[in-house]
Amino acid sequence: MDTIVNDFTINIATANGTGSQSANLILLQSLFDMGVPVSGKNLFPSNISGLPTWYIVRLSDEGYQAPGDRTHIQVLVNKATWTEDLAALEPGSVVVWNMDSKMPMDREDVVSYPVPMTKLARSLSPKLAKLVTNIVYVGVLAELLGITDEALHKAVAGQFKGKASAIELNTTALELGRNYAKENFTKTDPYVVESRAIEQQRFFMEGNEAVALGCIFGGVQLLAWYPITPSSSLAEGIIGWLPRLRTNDEGESTCAVIQAEDELAAAGMVLGAGWAGGRGITATSGPGISLMQEFIGLAYFAEIPSVFWDVNRVGPSTGLPTRTQQSDLAMLYEGSHGDTQHIVIIPGTVEECFEFGWRAFDISERYQTPVFGLSDLDLGMNRWACEGFTYPDVPMDRGKTIREQDIFEAMENFGRYRDVDGDGIPYRTLPGSGMAPILYRGTGHNPDGVYSEKPDDYFALMKRLKDKIDGARDHLPAPLLREDAEGDVGVIYYGSMENTIQEIDDILEATGLKVSQCRVRSLPLHSEVEQFIRRHRMTIVLEINRDGQLWGILRRELPNDIVGQVHSVAYSDGMPPRGRIYAEKILETIEEVSQ
Amino acid sequence: MSDKPARAIKLNVINEPKDSYKGGPSSLCPGCGHDQISNVIINAAWENGIKPHRIAKMSGIGCSSKTPAYYLGQSHGFNTVHGRMPSVTTGAYAINKDLLYLGVSGDGDSASIGIGQLIHAIRRNMDMVYIVENNGVYGLTKGQYSATADIGSKKKKGKANETQPIDLCALAINLGCTFVARSFSGSKKQLTSILKAAMSHKGFALVDVISPCVTFNNNDESMRSYQYVKDNEVTLHMADYIPHFEPMAEVEVPEGHFTDITLHDGSTIRLETISDSHDPSDSMAALTALHEAEVEKKHVTGLLYFDATKPSLAEDLGLVETPLLDVSDDQLRPSKDVLDTINKEFLNQ
Repeated sequence: MDTIVNDFTINIATANGTGSQSANLILLQSLFDMGVPVSGKNLFPSNISGLPTWYIVRLSDEGYQAPGDRTHIQVLVNKATWTEDLAALEPGSVVVWNMDSKMPMDREDVVSYPVPMTKLARSLSPKLAKLVTNIVYVGVLAELLGITDEALHKAVAGQFKGKASAIELNTTALELGRNYAKENFTKTDPYVVESRAIEQQRFFMEGNEAVALGCIFGGVQLLAWYPITPSSSLAEGIIGWLPRLRTNDEGESTCAVIQAEDELAAAGMVLGAGWAGGRGITATSGPGISLMQEFIGLAYFAEIPSVFWDVNRVGPSTGLPTRTQQSDLAMLYEGSHGDTQHIVIIPGTVEECFEFGWRAFDISERYQTPVFGLSDLDLGMNRWACEGFTYPDVPMDRGKTIREQDIFEAMENFGRYRDVDGDGIPYRTLPGSGMAPILYRGTGHNPDGVYSEKPDDYFALMKRLKDKIDGARDHLPAPLLREDAEGDVGVIYYGSMENTIQEIDDILEATGLKVSQCRVRSLPLHSEVEQFIRRHRMTIVLEINRDGQLWGILRRELPNDIVGQVHSVAYSDGMPPRGRIYAEKILETIEEVSQ
Repeated sequence: MSDKPARAIKLNVINEPKDSYKGGPSSLCPGCGHDQISNVIINAAWENGIKPHRIAKMSGIGCSSKTPAYYLGQSHGFNTVHGRMPSVTTGAYAINKDLLYLGVSGDGDSASIGIGQLIHAIRRNMDMVYIVENNGVYGLTKGQYSATADIGSKKKKGKANETQPIDLCALAINLGCTFVARSFSGSKKQLTSILKAAMSHKGFALVDVISPCVTFNNNDESMRSYQYVKDNEVTLHMADYIPHFEPMAEVEVPEGHFTDITLHDGSTIRLETISDSHDPSDSMAALTALHEAEVEKKHVTGLLYFDATKPSLAEDLGLVETPLLDVSDDQLRPSKDVLDTINKEFLNQ
């Protein structure tokens, strides 16, 4: 039998709240420590305990990080989804299943490994049987696939840092599973794991944790937040780092943390911090951004630095709270009523999550405007291989804030909203300074900040705001280009699609189509994006949503002569993007357009 | 140059004239109680000797929330969004806890759209003065009832109010607010002393000030006056016509006594100053006084409740002593060594 090495997908079906997450992370980490390129996707319910959860582990020597097209190895523990999960398998798949669940195993075209998981778990600890059951299947998989004890033990130690009894229990449970498989099964499936030499040291990191650490290195001074999936771990990440990184020996912190009464209040607090001269941030998801709209408009119009992180989940409304999507982009770009335009920065890797975490504050203070970091559930809550974080290469940019009396006095023609430098960015003084006090307001105002309804004042103000944000374009994170000299088709994408693009590219290339790639990392669009489109006969905009939100923005903002060259491939079913679906849609679109 | 000696200008303890505490001209209706409150704010801040630029003027949306333009012209201010001033103030406070935050709000702002934020600011014992200029109507949108309108009160248009009003003082006491007072815009002396005390309080100070709306509590008689104007071919648009009134005469009610006050529309309200035997640390007594006054259709004024023992938000936040605004950038950003160590720890975990 030919073996299939490091190129398959394991799907583990459990119920949430049973401890399966830590078992699955041990499986993932041990593969990672063997040098196997691996990714994990947690498909969890919006629920505390008892509802179906799937964990998808993909091994890929090619480095593909998206969930694959199909499941090769199915672990069945959850009775609720048993029948469906079993029916969905392709012939020849492997099933590791819990015999004690009393569920039928009626497929004869699969490789079946029945394990008395509950009995084994009970033999070890009747009280913790439910929890231990999960570790038992990891032991079974380890034996079947060839995962080393060394890797397993390291992963267990990492998972239960310092908790000796937990380490012992889990290690014994792994052995139980491994021994059961050793004694009862003759391997009849082709799937095996092989260690790979580790060229570049990496570690696993969730995007939310990376943004949190970035915020700490960005000098965050206020975190105001309201819990919402999938952003809570971003806020909790900041809270987690504060004692070590931003607290003195007396236990006093240089960052305030306030859990607000709702997202409106969280946004208000961030504005208050920005108004007072500090660096405030809130972390939320789409429903929170919906609630914050009024304050977003105020921050834009009164020119208050403020940072908002949106970890996108599936909308509209409550949507699918624990699934991923790229559907908040348009709302962020034009948030709040009236004519507005906001800066959005969009990381695609955990390293960028860290970088944009600190950079967001600099951009916001520089342009005196709200800045949105757009992440998503897939990037934010799943674990990604990370090469390490790079220290900020520039000092903190506090923008045109006048803090010294002599600098203020040397200024001619100061006005809070006067465009002194011709870049649309005014100077500001801070409350408490006594310098040029004004009453900030969300109503129309003249360059001195005084209430005005005069047509000339309003028109000039709105034009300056437009010029200011326009002027930011080429100072924001530039798009990353991978151009193929032979390709005349370009693909524009953004955010967490980064983790699927290589696979899409390989699938396309296998059909003979070579494409260039442009990953957009900020709005308003960098001028490079237009140049990229001009260099290609046709450009596809690839997005994880229904309506092609970035495509819509491009269509409106590109010069007329190239609008027709840009086509949308937008698809979302709540799942992290799977390469084949998008590759096929790209091919269909090219064919349609070419007809 | 005149040889005449300059007339001595009265200065406060920090040698500032009262002019340093004044603001721009008011655009409220002539005679509005809110303008009287603005003057009391000026007096109280001046008498307390607070540096004007160390005050932050905060407000929401409504007639009351426009008033920060009319006092303390040397202070920065923020006229925020409707009902959300407490959250903005909270964020500013986290960054600069050394300023005196002086919030002015109305009954629409505080008892309806922003009641949640008011409640949570009280709950946090956010260190600020929170004045409610309470008139029972929405003035800027031309006279709808607010959530503090008394049952049976009848405004210019429509039916009498039949919905239970919210008593912000009773609400605040129930929430554990550490400084709760009620006053009347015309009671300059009482209001000044309450505001001076509120400005000195560490924690959330709610000052609910009855401030009658001169324009939208007109009764039929006043309606006739509109009709009168129209009949006499004064070319004014009805909706734009604002009658001019003199401000309410000053009224000071001795402690434990009551006085009836005739409002611009001819109706009266009965103000009772809480007795000097009232113990402001007794929340039960304060609530009883409020409920009795409601039953007797009176408004009880004075310092109703006070608690100096509760920690304020500053203590809760556990921040360094220096206001965060003045913490240097290199203290805010950990060093490269720290990040290198973190990277190593992650790699070796």
